[in-house]
Amino acid sequence: MIAFVRNAMKRPLPSWREIARGLFYGVATDRTAKARARVGLAILFFTVTYCVIALRLVMFAALPDNRIAHRGGSGDAMATARPDILDRNGEVLATDVRVPSLFAEPRRLIDADEAVELLTADLPDLDAPELRERLGSRRGFVWLKRDLTAEQQRQIYRQGLPGIGFLNENKRVYPNGPEVSHVIGHVNIDNQGIAGMEKWLDGNGLAALHMAGLATDRLQTPVQLAVDLRVQHALHDELAASHVKYKTLAAAGVVLDVRTGEIVAMVSEPDYDPNNPHQALDPTRINRLTTGVFEMGSTFKAFTFAMALDSGKVTLKSSFDAHGPMQVGRFQIHDFEPENRMLSVPECFTLSSNICAARTALSMGVEAHKAFLKKLGQLDRLRTELPESAEPIVPRHWGELNTITIAFGHGLSVAPLQAVMGVAALMNGGLLIPPTFLKRTQAEADALATRVIKPETSEMMRYLMRLNVEKGTARRAEIPGYYIGGKTGTADKVVNGHYSKNSVLTDFMAVIPADKPRYLLLIMLDDPKVLPETHGFKTSGWNAVPVGGAVVARIAPLLGIEPRMDLPSADHLMLVSARESR
Amino acid sequence: MILRILNLIVVGVLILAAAYVYRIKFDSTVQAERLAKIRGEIRRERDAIAGLRAKWGELDNPARIEALAKRFLPLKPIESTQYSSLDQLPERPPELVQPGSQDPIGAFLEDSEASPAATGSVVGAERPPARTNTSGGAGASR
Repeated sequence: MIAFVRNAMKRPLPSWREIARGLFYGVATDRTAKARARVGLAILFFTVTYCVIALRLVMFAALPDNRIAHRGGSGDAMATARPDILDRNGEVLATDVRVPSLFAEPRRLIDADEAVELLTADLPDLDAPELRERLGSRRGFVWLKRDLTAEQQRQIYRQGLPGIGFLNENKRVYPNGPEVSHVIGHVNIDNQGIAGMEKWLDGNGLAALHMAGLATDRLQTPVQLAVDLRVQHALHDELAASHVKYKTLAAAGVVLDVRTGEIVAMVSEPDYDPNNPHQALDPTRINRLTTGVFEMGSTFKAFTFAMALDSGKVTLKSSFDAHGPMQVGRFQIHDFEPENRMLSVPECFTLSSNICAARTALSMGVEAHKAFLKKLGQLDRLRTELPESAEPIVPRHWGELNTITIAFGHGLSVAPLQAVMGVAALMNGGLLIPPTFLKRTQAEADALATRVIKPETSEMMRYLMRLNVEKGTARRAEIPGYYIGGKTGTADKVVNGHYSKNSVLTDFMAVIPADKPRYLLLIMLDDPKVLPETHGFKTSGWNAVPVGGAVVARIAPLLGIEPRMDLPSADHLMLVSARESR
Repeated sequence: MILRILNLIVVGVLILAAAYVYRIKFDSTVQAERLAKIRGEIRRERDAIAGLRAKWGELDNPARIEALAKRFLPLKPIESTQYSSLDQLPERPPELVQPGSQDPIGAFLEDSEASPAATGSVVGAERPPARTNTSGGAGASR
């Protein structure tokens, strides 16, 4: 009441203090209201403060303790874990193993000489003067030895040397040694993939994971390849045996699932041990199937006749003049075993007549020939998951002479895997499926497939392949029960820019079984030598074909192909169905 | 008075709550320690498993097994002609004794009308009678 009176009295003359007070309380506010407002302000202030403290306490309690979480991870070095690589049955092809590595902190060493003495006692392969020099330096950290055994680690640990410690590092291990070397490739000392599927892994996000330091744990899902370790071993073993028997420079082989394009086995001898990767630098150990290009010889006749049959202008009953030699400009085309008569298409194929193939290709025309090979992917670089690939050597000016020579597999060099892809398309009903090293389902393969020839043509080609094993150049590959079909090829090797008379490259494409194709096998031998039992011959039929037969006999049971005895000959079984389907 | 009792109750609840929270926190710390320890153990186990798998892969390598098999086993690779399918099997020969008959020897004796039995006891109902010894067919069955 008094304040009210005072306020009322002062009203006519407001001073600046009253104006300021009026801003906070209003001019007419009494003291009780003022006091209440102040108390309210204080309550608000304390409430906020206590809320902040409470929130902070909750945060302390709720958030995990970083100190504990990080305790387990010490002693592990860089984040370079890689996913395991498995074969199609889940066998380990490549895995990470933690190995302890020894390091020292020279500044914390008390007695360097004593340390040298004790360490060399446990690790005799350490070089003592070098070790002394390293430990005598004033550096903070030096590696002493990588990849210790558990026993060595225990011994050194027991000596209790100060300034000596262990770090666990991931080390890539390939338990199968050289057998799958060209498929999986290898890694460098820092666990980065530098060849084969290992490099593909890095290219597919693993490298980024390493950069970010996230790849510490083993929880990455393993990568499953299409390769079957058992088939791979059988192929490797037989090729190694042929390498010795025929004294070849190199030998290579592929097994391809013709329905899905999966590469079930791939061997290129000589190979290397990925656990010991400096061998891989040797140029003779390259993967001949993807990194090398070769003139495939007569196996290319399969493409020639497939083109002719697919065009419809040539049937199995057509015949071609095989009188030799065939004169083309300055060149003469010879047959290996001249027949000098008219040959039907099956005869051309089984006798592997160069002249006949040349005439067949010519009758189709140069452009059609080129277009057909292009369609089958023989003129472009084949890219698979493997980082290594070679571009085919295609003649720059493709004239009639080129068509003639390419008809029987000379003058066009392709990567053997590429030829395998093409022949697989001729066998599987006419679908070109890019080969893969990863597991693939039938549905995925169907989505990728492109039709290149008619199914009837494929049937006729399979008949020709089977006929060639029954009474053609591939007779020595016959294994009863598996109904193998095949085409041989022998190419003179190019040495110093000229075709050599003495060294050849022989290859053999086999399809098992010929009536319901499932797998295609390629055997390729580089410069096989004449043996007493080959009667002076070194054409494919005497070396690559028997090797192919031996491989089929070993791998067919592994691939689940049941032998069927008493199957009729190709003329009865396949020609009839080919006619009916037409 | 009522206000004071309320205050006391609130203070008591506060102390209880604090004690409870402390216990939860302590427990969770213990659990976290255990978790970290188990994680470390899992990691070690996993590394050990990887090491053993690598070792097993090495021991299970087909090349190694083949070398050992060649050295120590009389086995040879199977030939395609050695396979046979079920429908190529010949028919099963007719049973001498009805399966499930209670007295196989007796039934057999009735059937064959051979020499009198000299056996002591019946050993198992399913087993065919030991006819080779009694009926003189030893040469044929060998």
